[in-house]
Amino acid sequence: MASSSRVVTKIAAIFSKSRSDNEDYFTEVEGVGRIPRDIYKHVTSNPFGDLPRYSPHIVTQHFIIFVTFLILAATGVPIYFSDLFWAHYVIGLFGGIDLARQIHRIAAMVMMAASAYHLVTVIGGTISKLIKKEFDIKRTQIPRVKDLFDLIHDFRYFLGLEPYRPKMEKFMYKQKLHYLAILYGSFVLMAAGSALVFPDSLAKLFSETIGKVWPQAMGSESVSTFFQDLARLMHADEAVMALIVLAFWHWTNVHFVPGRFPVQWTFLTGRITREHQIEEHFLEYIRNLKEIPAEREYMRNLLQQIESESLQQEG
Amino acid sequence: MPKAACRFLVTLWGFICLFLICAPSVSFCADIGNCLLCHKYPGLSRVDENGKLRLLYINEAIFNTSMHAKVKCEGCHPDIQKIPHDPAKKVDCLIQCHIVEPSSEQKFSHKDVAEFLKKSVHSPLDADGKPKPFPEDFPDCKKCHDNPLYRPMSFNKMMLPGISVTALGRCRVCHKKDDFIYQFYNHVTTRLRRSRNPKNIAESCARCHDNPILMKRHNLSTKAVYSYGESFHGKAATFLDERIPDCLDCHVNPGESVHQMLGYKNPQSAVSAQNKGRICANAECHPSATPKMAEYKVHAEFNLNQSPVRYYFTVFFIALTGGTLLPLMGIIFLDCLRRLFPNTVLIQRKKKHE
Repeated sequence: MASSSRVVTKIAAIFSKSRSDNEDYFTEVEGVGRIPRDIYKHVTSNPFGDLPRYSPHIVTQHFIIFVTFLILAATGVPIYFSDLFWAHYVIGLFGGIDLARQIHRIAAMVMMAASAYHLVTVIGGTISKLIKKEFDIKRTQIPRVKDLFDLIHDFRYFLGLEPYRPKMEKFMYKQKLHYLAILYGSFVLMAAGSALVFPDSLAKLFSETIGKVWPQAMGSESVSTFFQDLARLMHADEAVMALIVLAFWHWTNVHFVPGRFPVQWTFLTGRITREHQIEEHFLEYIRNLKEIPAEREYMRNLLQQIESESLQQEG
Repeated sequence: MPKAACRFLVTLWGFICLFLICAPSVSFCADIGNCLLCHKYPGLSRVDENGKLRLLYINEAIFNTSMHAKVKCEGCHPDIQKIPHDPAKKVDCLIQCHIVEPSSEQKFSHKDVAEFLKKSVHSPLDADGKPKPFPEDFPDCKKCHDNPLYRPMSFNKMMLPGISVTALGRCRVCHKKDDFIYQFYNHVTTRLRRSRNPKNIAESCARCHDNPILMKRHNLSTKAVYSYGESFHGKAATFLDERIPDCLDCHVNPGESVHQMLGYKNPQSAVSAQNKGRICANAECHPSATPKMAEYKVHAEFNLNQSPVRYYFTVFFIALTGGTLLPLMGIIFLDCLRRLFPNTVLIQRKKKHE
């Protein structure tokens, strides 16, 4: 009881102090009150998520792509690094190179199917929202100028030059960057992977299309040969880059940073914690307040509690 | 039974047991000269005139499963006439050994192979019979070959490894001697394909073709086996895939002796500009492949002159990976730092009421 009182007292102190710091510090929401920017530090959160973020379609797609990516990496990376001692053990686990190749191809086909499913979901959902006149570009992965300002603001915050993080949308600049990178990477991997599975078809395709437009390039090499070789080289290099970015960037951002460690359950539940939503997706949280009555009630009660504590302190 | 007869039978039994214990488990070794009397000892070795340790031990069990198991020791070492012998001369693969070639009933020799080699790109003599530069760099028999072991067909046919008992039963219908059956079964099934796997063949070629000094001497810019190892075929070969093409599959015309390998500038060569398009369409590889497929660069290296595509592309990807990852990791680092020290500010902001 005493500790909860101390927490409320602390909140009230921050509340009163910050009020004079910055006008943007508060966001007025009708029927709720003035919400301070750093309220996320004081809310309660269910680790499995409080607020909706991803539909079951997206969760399913992410899960399939996540599993197939790991299989593809486990069967592909040892082939790329075939001269290293551990590669033989890993390929041995998959029953040898022949079986590993087959598993790699099956996993790739499943991933391509999941990607197609994703495109259908996103495009279909967008069309549906456009028809219903519910489409809001701010809630999509489409990059906006604001993202650049958010990046600069966030960078300044990390350096200690800003007191609070920017108010960001449902998808912040990091996620948009990552999503675009995945779109590009998936296209490259699938196209280049197809060049490996169907070498002759790709050779003919390039020579009969690009090769006719620009028959000679790079000295004696025809442009079709250039693209054939490029497609083959791209698969492995892009895959290694994707793996590095995934391991060091995506997993760190999502699961390993302080506050999220050891795992963020959104990828399975499709729900985001209140604390996370307010910290990194403040503007989406404001929309959630307008759309979800229970959340509105929760926030109203919290603000009243803080306000009364603040008045007690002043009294 | 008389006492003397009993004593005789016991003694005879003793000799039989002694013989059975001492007799070798496999009896088709061609060691008529009893060379294994000394060479069976694993530690048998000496340091030669050049200071090199020479291991002289012969593992009889392994030798008996090799292709030369039926050749007598004197067949390859004719200079050895007495025991103990003087240092043996180097083995000359072109001499006539004591095996009789069944189809011609002549004593066997590898001389025909040497004739093929003379016509190939690996001959130390040019077309006019004059020595090429650095003739000592060109391979002789032992540069590429050792004494390969038999690899029965079942190894390749998804059957149990080793000699197929069922197949032996069929052999016994006509052939009576088991030694003969084993020998010819192994010989025929091994020679239906290569005696070495693709990795082993590539390693053999790499002794010269990945040697930068030799390559420079002969104006060859490619580290051929290294770049083969960078291709998917080479990577599969590293994992001991038996079905993957190796150097010989592309560089030798189908149906010809591998010793007759020709340089890529020779119009008759399998990899010449005229013939290159047919390589991939080999019936055992990609039978429906068009000549376009052979335009892929198998020996592309990270070298601006040799393969600008690979060079620029690799540089681009190194830059892209580094250029993407480093800023991203920088942001994560700062993010983590800020989460660990949330109240640290570099510049104190002025408060409005001040």
